[in-house]
Amino acid sequence: MGSPATHIVDDDPAVRDALQWLLKSRSVQSQVWGSAEAFLASASCELCGCLLLDVRMPGMSGIELFDRLRALNCRLPVIFLTGHGDVPMAVQALKDGAFDFIEKPYDDNALVDKVLAALEHDTKRCIREKSLREVQHRLEQLTQREQEVMHQILAGKLNKVIADELGIAMRTVEVHRSHIFEKMQVRSAVELSQVLGLLGNQSGPES
Amino acid sequence: MAFILFIGGVALLLWMSDRADKEERRATLISDILWLEQNLRFHLTRNEELLGRIDLAQTADAKTFESFARTLFGFESGLRQLIWLDAEGQARRAHPATMDSAVAGETTEVSPSRQSFRLARSLGKPVYSSAYPFFTDDWQFEVHVPVSREGRVVGVMVGVYRIREILGDSVPWWLAERYRISIVGNSGKVLGTRSKIESAVTDEGYQVAFDPPGWGLTIHAVPYHAPRPLASVLLSASLVILALIVLWSLWILRRHVLRRQAVEEQLQREYAFRKAMEDSLDTGMRARNLDGEIIYVNPAFCRMVGWSAAELIGRRPPMPYWADDYLDETRAMHDRVLAGQGPEEGFELKLKRRSGEVIDVLIHEAPLIDAQGRHSGWMGSMVDITERKHADEQARQQQDRLQSTARLVAMGEMASSIAHELNQPLAAISSYCTGAANLLRNQVPTDEVLPALDKAVEQARRAGQVIRRIYSLARPGESRFEVVDLAERVEAALSLMDGEIRQKGIHVLLALSPAATVEGDPVLLEQALFNLLRNAIESMRDTAPEQRQLAVALTCAEGYARLAIVDRGYGIAPDVAGQLFDPLFTTKPEGMGMGLAICRSVVENHRGRLSFEANPQGGTVFHVLLPLVPQWVAPPRT
Repeated sequence: MGSPATHIVDDDPAVRDALQWLLKSRSVQSQVWGSAEAFLASASCELCGCLLLDVRMPGMSGIELFDRLRALNCRLPVIFLTGHGDVPMAVQALKDGAFDFIEKPYDDNALVDKVLAALEHDTKRCIREKSLREVQHRLEQLTQREQEVMHQILAGKLNKVIADELGIAMRTVEVHRSHIFEKMQVRSAVELSQVLGLLGNQSGPES
Repeated sequence: MAFILFIGGVALLLWMSDRADKEERRATLISDILWLEQNLRFHLTRNEELLGRIDLAQTADAKTFESFARTLFGFESGLRQLIWLDAEGQARRAHPATMDSAVAGETTEVSPSRQSFRLARSLGKPVYSSAYPFFTDDWQFEVHVPVSREGRVVGVMVGVYRIREILGDSVPWWLAERYRISIVGNSGKVLGTRSKIESAVTDEGYQVAFDPPGWGLTIHAVPYHAPRPLASVLLSASLVILALIVLWSLWILRRHVLRRQAVEEQLQREYAFRKAMEDSLDTGMRARNLDGEIIYVNPAFCRMVGWSAAELIGRRPPMPYWADDYLDETRAMHDRVLAGQGPEEGFELKLKRRSGEVIDVLIHEAPLIDAQGRHSGWMGSMVDITERKHADEQARQQQDRLQSTARLVAMGEMASSIAHELNQPLAAISSYCTGAANLLRNQVPTDEVLPALDKAVEQARRAGQVIRRIYSLARPGESRFEVVDLAERVEAALSLMDGEIRQKGIHVLLALSPAATVEGDPVLLEQALFNLLRNAIESMRDTAPEQRQLAVALTCAEGYARLAIVDRGYGIAPDVAGQLFDPLFTTKPEGMGMGLAICRSVVENHRGRLSFEANPQGGTVFHVLLPLVPQWVAPPRT
């Protein structure tokens, strides 16, 4: 997956089909799901795009699915399709971080516009999250010693000082440094700190 | 104690009466005996004088002496012999001449006594000798009277008395009847007795000295044991009998009093028990006599109506606790009860408390039967059911509200589900069409657009099916049609609202033709009738109570059953008349606007007509016209 796509979750096949047709008429590719459970089974945190979600469904309801996704830290934008009387529920969902809701019967092209807005919003998020995941991946490839050395480098210390502090040979420090640069796909200590700074901004509280 | 005192008193009285009697007898005895003694003394003294007057010449001649003696004896003097002794004491004359004693020689002393003679001669005064026996059972004594001549005693005249003779002569018969009189010598020997009966009470005797003879003679009088006078005995006996009777009656009285006390105590206990029971009753009790006058009320009744028993007893109708608004009804019921036609199962009535508050009571009347078994009035028991009625009413209203709410919720739920059902295909249609339009704007070939339009048509059909399903749900099929008796249905619908009709005090006038049979669904028809009747009743909510009248007339004419429901309610404003049968149109705050719409659809479904007009007297008239079952096709009833 990974490619941005619109996901439609509705229990009514006609509605699903009609929505897919509508989006396609505006060149938006979409994928349909017959129930919340089916979507949840194949969903991952790496999904990009947006989710058109019917509030009222047999089995797991749209609101429930939304809560599950939030619990999984999935920030896929969600547009709720609500019937008459479901508005308060949708407003609450909006406060909890849903992207938007649209009440049936809806203006179809306005719906498509909202989907497009959500997709655009999610593209930025996807790129950022993707690079973060990349940095994270690279960091995970460093050995314990390399991580220690990397922290010393980021602190701006010279190789000599690092060798002294860690009680290793100067030559060894240089080997570690080259491995770190290679694994982190950077050419200088400045670049390294930029890459890691991105990570720090994004997930500061975690480190 | 009183008993003992009484006995003692009677005994004392008897004893005292006896004693007084005895004393009186003794006093009589004493006076009698003194009289006797005096009498005897008088006799003896007179004899002394007579003896002293003897003439010497008479002594000389035997014949004159004899006549003198005879004269003396004739005076009842008690003398038995006269002897003339000369100065030397020689007996010169004697009459009678010879003494038996001398002949018999049984006298112990010389007669006449020498000693007495000498004493009489020397003293010159009469001297009595001591008594001496004469024969075996008689005693006699002598009196020696000296006779003087010129200062010289010339002789002594001796009179011999015989004691028995004295007693016989000088004791009168009446005395002898009462006493045994005896003369007793100084040795206690009885010298002579005059008595008729031997037995006498010795201890009651009395004695006096028999003095002129002296020598220690005494007169003894002993009363006979005379039978007590009958009157006295009768008196005593009657006294005793009376006392016994008094005692007996006292005992009877005491027994009676005790029994009475026990009965009274029991009565009091019974009374206290009844009173406690009566006071603890929550049920008001009120008794009236046959004229309707109150003769009894219990405390619970007083509490119920707020008037005291003193204020109520003796009152005649109209009673102060009759509710003003229901005066006629109450009076009618009162008369019915007094006529003995009160409902046996009891009846409900509104009464007024003193504070003006109106209360509901349930009354049961029962005939009051007095001790002689006569019907003397009516006893009514009353239970205050105000609270209960109030609670019932509240529960009913609550029920109504709940039902109404439940209906609303159900309807809302149904509407919501219908909306969803319809929204789905509509949304799909909209999306297909919009998508198709989008494509067409971009000059996409038609055959790419067509499938979407086909799908849109399919969805439109789906929506139509939803609607058809709802319609068939709301309109049951005609298979349940059967022959319906409209009058029966009207009555059934009215009975469902019995409580409300009674509570609002609505007067219902029914004129139902039994021939009104139509073909239809009985449940639906009843529902329609129920709605119409309910509207009529509710419309009279603000009508004055006496004008609350609901008239239902069912007639048959020209192949139609014609039902007119006439109310006196607030009527229908001209500006809403046109919308009246529209669904969801209502004039009632909690109404749903379905009632009349349902009515019209049901009536029209039965090939009938529903219309209304204003009631000229105020209110509305609803007309229901339904085709009658043609007689020739009417299926036989089963």
